[in-house]
Amino acid sequence: MRVSEVAAKTGIEIVTKSFNDIEVANGYTSDLLSDVMGFAEEESLLITIQAHKNTVAVASQLDLAGIVICNGRRIPEDMRLAAEQEGIAILQTEENQFVTSHKIYSAIRE
Amino acid sequence: MIFKSDLHIHTCLSPCGSLDMSPLDIVKIARDNGLNLIAISDHNSALNCPALKKVCEQYDDISCLFGIEVTSVEEVHNLTLFDDLEAVLDFGSFLYERLDTIPNNPEAFGDQVYVNEKNEIIGEVDKYLAGATSLSVEELLVEVHNRGGLFIPAHVDRASYSLTSQLGFIPDNPYDALEFSKFYYRDQAVGSNNQSVINSGDYPHITNSDSHYPDTVGMVYTEFDIEFPSINCIRDALKNGRFNICTPWHKKFA
Repeated sequence: MRVSEVAAKTGIEIVTKSFNDIEVANGYTSDLLSDVMGFAEEESLLITIQAHKNTVAVASQLDLAGIVICNGRRIPEDMRLAAEQEGIAILQTEENQFVTSHKIYSAIRE
Repeated sequence: MIFKSDLHIHTCLSPCGSLDMSPLDIVKIARDNGLNLIAISDHNSALNCPALKKVCEQYDDISCLFGIEVTSVEEVHNLTLFDDLEAVLDFGSFLYERLDTIPNNPEAFGDQVYVNEKNEIIGEVDKYLAGATSLSVEELLVEVHNRGGLFIPAHVDRASYSLTSQLGFIPDNPYDALEFSKFYYRDQAVGSNNQSVINSGDYPHITNSDSHYPDTVGMVYTEFDIEFPSINCIRDALKNGRFNICTPWHKKFA
């Protein structure tokens, strides 16, 4: 299932204008980027509240499918621009990481 | 002139800082331990800096700078240093507006009191000071430089609240230095240092005690060869390598 299809199925909004609409292989939920660096698998969606451009750097390094920002946290302009430059989707939801993880797990596994 | 400098010391204002850590008592301990330049750097507040200034003015063998250990939105701790009292107080107000609104519970987290130069409590801070501000490391760095301060990511080797622990790497930004903790040098001394700090080579490395209790003040420090204890002189010394890491605490481990 591609990033755009996950977004459509879960009702989570995509906020980057352009991105690589790749197949989502897995998900990883964490707010500690050093932990993400160690354990997230490539082509995963990262579910987090870490809304800043260093998250894009980590996502790019790991070839993640996208970043899902929870709790309606504000996405800074420099983060959105960095993500568009790297072709990484940013999604945004008012829900917390627990609920968002469930929705995305259900979408890609069931 | 050589300034033996411990520039990261918490006071009774930090919830995790001992109530014995008033500016008056810190200056006494620092002088006893042979330091001649100190800064206090509480979590996200500068409210004990006026007392520090008044205490230091009474002595001609010790000078002070004014610090705040700022928590970024990534929960990275950053040492910020100023030599102007008004500048640090203004920066403290700016941060307080941008700090998470969590009321402090002294029984759970500790007291957050600020004092005068005579050790009398003059106030208590409502919000929990060790929470995060809404600003990223990069935004804080620009803000601090615009306000004439130094920006030094704190204890970058630590497994919590450091650039390394929170991000997993050190993003390339114009930091004035990186601060390494006393534990880093202790581990080096005993040959058990297996902590990797990625991409830290190009920045000046300094150390401070990060004291929360009286008995650790000056345990490690940095010597600066500077004419005058100002931010400009320290920035210049950092750029030109006129400083030296001192780790007396580790002699007993070596």
